[in-house]
Amino acid sequence: MEGQELETLIERARGRDAEALGEIYRRYVRRVFGLCRHLLGSWESAEDATSEVFLKLQRSLGTYDGSTPFPAWLLRVAGNHCIDMLRRRQRGRQVMVEDRDGTAAAAAPSSEPSPLGAVLSSEARARVREAIARLPENYRVPLVLRYYSELSYDEIAQQLGVESGHVGALIFRAKQELRRKLRNVQS
Amino acid sequence: MNCYSEQSCAVFADGEMAAAEARRLQEHLEGCAHCRELVERLRVENSMLAESLHEMAEAPAVAPAFSGLRSSWRSRGAWLQVIGVTAVLALSAMVYTGLEGLGAPAALDWLNPLSLGGRVNLVFSLCAYLSGYFTQGGTAMLSNYAALVCWISLLLLLLGSSALLRGRRWRLPHPGLRLIVILLTLSLPGFALERRNGGLVAVGVNETVDDTLLATGDTVRVDGVVNGDVLAFGRAVEVSGTVKGDLLSWAQRVTVTGTVEGRIYSFAQTFDLTGQVDHSLYGAAQTLELDSRGRVGEGILAAASDASIDGRVQRGVWLGAGGAEVSGDIGRELAVAGGTLTLASTARVGGDLWARVRQLKDVHIAEGATIAGKRDIQQTAELTVRQSRYRSFGFYLWQALWVAAAMLVGWLALALFPGFVRGSTQAVASGWRSLGLGLGVLAGVPLAILVIAITVVGIPISLIGLAVYLVALYLAKIWVAAFLGRLILKPAEPGNRDWLLGLLLGLLILTAGGFIPFLGGLVRFVVLCLGLGAFAWQVYRTIKQPAVA
Repeated sequence: MEGQELETLIERARGRDAEALGEIYRRYVRRVFGLCRHLLGSWESAEDATSEVFLKLQRSLGTYDGSTPFPAWLLRVAGNHCIDMLRRRQRGRQVMVEDRDGTAAAAAPSSEPSPLGAVLSSEARARVREAIARLPENYRVPLVLRYYSELSYDEIAQQLGVESGHVGALIFRAKQELRRKLRNVQS
Repeated sequence: MNCYSEQSCAVFADGEMAAAEARRLQEHLEGCAHCRELVERLRVENSMLAESLHEMAEAPAVAPAFSGLRSSWRSRGAWLQVIGVTAVLALSAMVYTGLEGLGAPAALDWLNPLSLGGRVNLVFSLCAYLSGYFTQGGTAMLSNYAALVCWISLLLLLLGSSALLRGRRWRLPHPGLRLIVILLTLSLPGFALERRNGGLVAVGVNETVDDTLLATGDTVRVDGVVNGDVLAFGRAVEVSGTVKGDLLSWAQRVTVTGTVEGRIYSFAQTFDLTGQVDHSLYGAAQTLELDSRGRVGEGILAAASDASIDGRVQRGVWLGAGGAEVSGDIGRELAVAGGTLTLASTARVGGDLWARVRQLKDVHIAEGATIAGKRDIQQTAELTVRQSRYRSFGFYLWQALWVAAAMLVGWLALALFPGFVRGSTQAVASGWRSLGLGLGVLAGVPLAILVIAITVVGIPISLIGLAVYLVALYLAKIWVAAFLGRLILKPAEPGNRDWLLGLLLGLLILTAGGFIPFLGGLVRFVVLCLGLGAFAWQVYRTIKQPAVA
């Protein structure tokens, strides 16, 4: 029922129906804005990005073929947009791909911080978000794409233009960096 | 046993390991408690990360893409709106020109973009105003523009309330369109309104005006009969005839020798009532006088530096006055807060006498004066002046009114321009940027207004600029208060109610903060700069927005 409704909504939006676009906006703006906020860091750029994603939606809807669920597709579009923004910000430098010590996926030394446990309080979750926001871009972006957009390694690789095998390493290092930041905060 | 690296385990926990490798790891896990525990902990960590990231379910505060969509001008809805608005405006303009011809007051007409005559008029009237400014001390010009500003505020309030009453469905979704509609509606005339403008606006003795009369001029005289309300702005407003409705006046001198059958709302330097008002009189004046022949059918609520009540008031009199003299007849209670109170021997108070004065010796009650009810006379200035204001009821009343007014404005603004309001609130968060920008705007805008005004032709723009500047100054505390409130309340889902609740809390805190000894002034100044900066930034962003589309 919901899916059926969504399909007609998308169809109407393709036909430049402002009301349908408005409805899509209302349904998904929070999710898209959340992604932009995590990826871009600042509230203002996230707002700009969200607006732009929805403004472009009319045109980009033409490329939506229904093979993936619409929310996932929309988040991918938004993710691409943010990554483009980040790249432009870095003046073409491919920061997301850069990784200081190559792709070596050496076993973690025993001194590395161990995985974080379940965090229950909302304050603690806010601390986690803050720490994620403070991660370097090349770590933050894949981490957010994985755990917010729920993209697979392959999809992330495609978005970032890196090899699929490299994504696992990036995410792994991102988590280690995150653990270090959170432990520092605690101590 | 050869354990897997943590990274391999992480890839496995993410479900991204190649099938064959994953099978081998799975087998290994069955025999290795250490790796099993590691994978389990990695999974917990993953879900914790996802949870933390998803929790922030905030919506963008600014220019929702909804409006952005419409600003792309492609959607049919927007076009229909534009066509509709244009059609209504064109029709109104036609009817307007047909009905009123050239008799429109230049002070309002120049805002009308559809009227070419308006612009031509503007040049001439500006010249006239300017010559008037130098020869007559500029009161005519000022009163005309004061009228304009009053009129705009009044209509804005009306329009805002009606938009709210009609509910969400009827509101134009695009904030820009809404603004245009408001501005253009303001520039169009009201139809049930007769407007007169000039040096002397007079309703002759034998003349009857059937509509509400809006009069702006150096002198406004009503000698005949007005069946509706009278809204009069000028240097002098005189009513010797009859006004069947209310009289709302803003003038240097207001004199009523005739009859007002409704209420009187008056802001004046001098207010004189020798005639009769059937209902109440509300006013603020430097000198307020109810002559011995004057009659008030209900009560008086007024603030004046000197008030004198010689005539007859059927009900109570409530005065905030530097000096109050009563020699007339008051049907019910007399309440005075202020400096001195004198009751002459002819004075009669039908109810209680309540007075709060600085010193008890400033209250003089003559022998023959009669007070039917109780006397409650107290002095307010036992302490120093600085402390005493916190002891007076009036002080809290004003603060409450102040907060209530700000809440009302905030509510209206939120209902009409939700995106903008939320954006401005959010823009306060940038702290130093807002503060710096606010300082710049605070100092720079008056300078710019002055420079534009010097060019003479730019006077209308400078006046609009001045109006916007004053509005922005007022709104400054609203953004800061709403932001402060949000900071404290931390609503999970920022809805309208939360915004307003935050605003209330913030206003209360800011109001209290403004009265901290020594620091209060600084608090107010910082709030002003922050709010002004946030407003300016939001205006800039709103203007910039369509360029993105």
